[in-house]
Amino acid sequence: MSYRLVLLYGLSALIAAAVLLPVGVLLALGLGSEVALGAQALEIALNTLLLTVLTTTAATLIGAPLALLTTYTDLPRRPLWTGLLAAPLAVPSYLGAFAYFAATGPGGEIQGLTGLPVPSVDGLAGATLVLTLYTYPFVLLSTRAGLRNLDASTLDAARTLGMPLGTALLRVVLPRVKNSLAAGALLVALYTLSDFGTPAIMRLDTFTRAIFVEYNAFGLDRAALLSVGLLGLVAVVLLLEWVVGSTRERPGRTPRLHLGRGGAAAALLAVGLLLLASLGMPLGVFTLGVLREGTGGFDPAMLLRSASVSGLAAAAAVLLALPVAYTATRGRLGRLLERGTYVGFGVPGIVLGTALVLVGLRLDFLYQSIALLAFGYVVRFLPLAVGNIRAPLERTEQGLVSAARSLGASPGEAFRRVTLPLILPGLLAAGALVFLEVMRELPATLLLRPSGFETLATHLWAVYEAGYFGRAAVPALLLVGVSGVAVALMLRRERSHDDALI
Amino acid sequence: MVDRRTFLKGVSALGALGVSPAWAASAAAEAAEAPAADKLPELSGDLTVYLGRGEGGLYGQVVEAIRDRNPALSLEIRRGSSSGLANTLVAESEHGGARADLFWSIDASSLGHVVNEGLARPVPAVLHEPLPEAFRFEAFAPVSGRVRSIAYNPERVRAGDLPERIMDLPDTGLTVGWAPSYGAFQSFLTAMRLLEGDAATRAWLQGIQGRARSYAGELGAVMAAAQGEVDVALANHYYTLRLKEGQPDTSLELAFTRGDAGSLINTSGVTLLSQGSTPVDLVRYLQSREVQSFLAEEAYEIPLAGGVETPAGVPALERLEPPELDLTRLGDVQPTLALMREAGVL
Repeated sequence: MSYRLVLLYGLSALIAAAVLLPVGVLLALGLGSEVALGAQALEIALNTLLLTVLTTTAATLIGAPLALLTTYTDLPRRPLWTGLLAAPLAVPSYLGAFAYFAATGPGGEIQGLTGLPVPSVDGLAGATLVLTLYTYPFVLLSTRAGLRNLDASTLDAARTLGMPLGTALLRVVLPRVKNSLAAGALLVALYTLSDFGTPAIMRLDTFTRAIFVEYNAFGLDRAALLSVGLLGLVAVVLLLEWVVGSTRERPGRTPRLHLGRGGAAAALLAVGLLLLASLGMPLGVFTLGVLREGTGGFDPAMLLRSASVSGLAAAAAVLLALPVAYTATRGRLGRLLERGTYVGFGVPGIVLGTALVLVGLRLDFLYQSIALLAFGYVVRFLPLAVGNIRAPLERTEQGLVSAARSLGASPGEAFRRVTLPLILPGLLAAGALVFLEVMRELPATLLLRPSGFETLATHLWAVYEAGYFGRAAVPALLLVGVSGVAVALMLRRERSHDDALI
Repeated sequence: MVDRRTFLKGVSALGALGVSPAWAASAAAEAAEAPAADKLPELSGDLTVYLGRGEGGLYGQVVEAIRDRNPALSLEIRRGSSSGLANTLVAESEHGGARADLFWSIDASSLGHVVNEGLARPVPAVLHEPLPEAFRFEAFAPVSGRVRSIAYNPERVRAGDLPERIMDLPDTGLTVGWAPSYGAFQSFLTAMRLLEGDAATRAWLQGIQGRARSYAGELGAVMAAAQGEVDVALANHYYTLRLKEGQPDTSLELAFTRGDAGSLINTSGVTLLSQGSTPVDLVRYLQSREVQSFLAEEAYEIPLAGGVETPAGVPALERLEPPELDLTRLGDVQPTLALMREAGVL
């Protein structure tokens, strides 16, 4: 092993250890308690499992075609639609769930406005629907990053030989992005496992609900132990994704598919309906709130705080994800270290936040500081970055780097001029994902932030908790708007990358 | 004021439940007049307040107003869920001491938890004076009240069909919306456990469970009662009032049981965590006429300090018949959860 590689491994190990530290605190806390899980434990585990499987499947079925649509086709105003399609990641899923709860069913808002009877959206089906609407962008963004790195020539060859487009996409394109797809699906699964708000509002009994109840009843040790149980499920999911292999190929020209008028209209209709369901529904319900109650006070400084801390965390996560993702492509040990960084995303935010409070109290200078808050975000969202960077790295042909090196480029120059441009779409997607997740993160933010540090998410929570939906409308709209614009800006850089390659 | 008939009816319903019949009569009579904010001493120095749940930012607005009025005061506010901040305070006390001077929490159970862990300083007499006798606790000072209620849709359920005693609810056959994982509901059950005993509480839970629908929060339960998904909802009173503020046509009314956990008055309140006169003086502002009226008018909370008028629509203290209970004891939630698990409600 070269000196550089050893250094990289050391760095990755250090990052993995730092990320796993709060999980260690959690284990210590949980294993000191005794919890007798009641007869409902089996039902809870089954519900959690079903919800995870259904949501992951549905999110993949929605996210993958959208990735194709927003990467390869000549859809009009593609960057705009991409930004909007990613924006649901910034909507806290509890707000989405609540909007569906308030809008549907007998006497719901929809029936009140239109007189049409609408069935209640709740239970397993309801939770799956809502979680799918707010997690499919994980698959969309990571699959896009994978698709952008494919060369059009294989697809063109298949088409020339008479393979219909659909078959060609399934048999020629899909296998080559399956690791990007799996990386996105993994994030959906972990998010679903750790989300509290949606199952609670949809009245579905899951692990997170049991954890939340214990936490609120001051049974920290019990909450921790239940989280350890949840970690078992997280481990299973991580193992499953491990099995998905990857292929390497030389990147090239991005394929272009022409939709035609009818195709474009159909695609826009589908995208419009999806956005209506994911963004329109909560915004509509909260706008009704504005009409009834007025907007209430709102401090624009919150927006600035949200955006800057999200940007900071996104930058930190991408930077730290680079060595981890790189070593993950170099062997089993690296892959294991990488898996370690995923654990934080499967642990509910309050539990992780509590563990970090205990860490912060031991390192007093960190307690209730922006640094600890940002560290908390990195612990929780590092896998969002790692997954999106590893997938394109895996496909990066080592031959290109070797060629650059043999032509006299230093390792740094080879990385800057060869590897970096190739993985740039992945880096951008990674940054965008972390940014969006931090924008909507609530439970860890409440516990770790400096006193008085109000963000859009904490403000939304405060007014929602008190039942003032009108006052939630403006911040919710801002959260979605800013996030959509931020993602559109980040993804716009893709185009210059395109030109450079051709 | 309590008219004689209501009072007697209350007495007869109280029975041997450990409820003082004098409660209702004493409620308003013994409390001193709430101070006017401009008569209170000016605050100065550094102060950190942990503020448990925001009531849509209203508690925050109160603290901000106090900050504006006292330019010499350097006030830091940390908001979070009540239980989260209580957990945080206990963790802090194990690592060098609490980092806050005051904990203003939306519910008494979080205060009770902090008190049970030995963090609270005794409440001085000056903070007892404006409160009715029943709310003069040793370890925390109540600020505003919220009463447990039965919310019902009068188009579907007749007021006469509602029970006068919460323990009779299982026998009515009414379907019930509740929020078992919600803190306010668990406090209500803790009160039932302390007043009626474990066996009766378990039987009550089992008696209702077959006809109950669970909601994530009490607002959801109240909305369900309005929409007819359930006959009645068990919830704090203000959820109904806030729902009706937004949707005045909603057909939803409040009913209260008599002298039992069903009409428990829980309070938001403050524990003092550090020494000195500034924290105490800040609580006096919270007991001022201005703050009490503001919370009552904006958040539909029940004013507790003497001489403050209750706005129309908000149930007045003297018309309620709550049980007598030291709310500090509501911090003991774990046995309640154990009961709920046994009954299969959690």
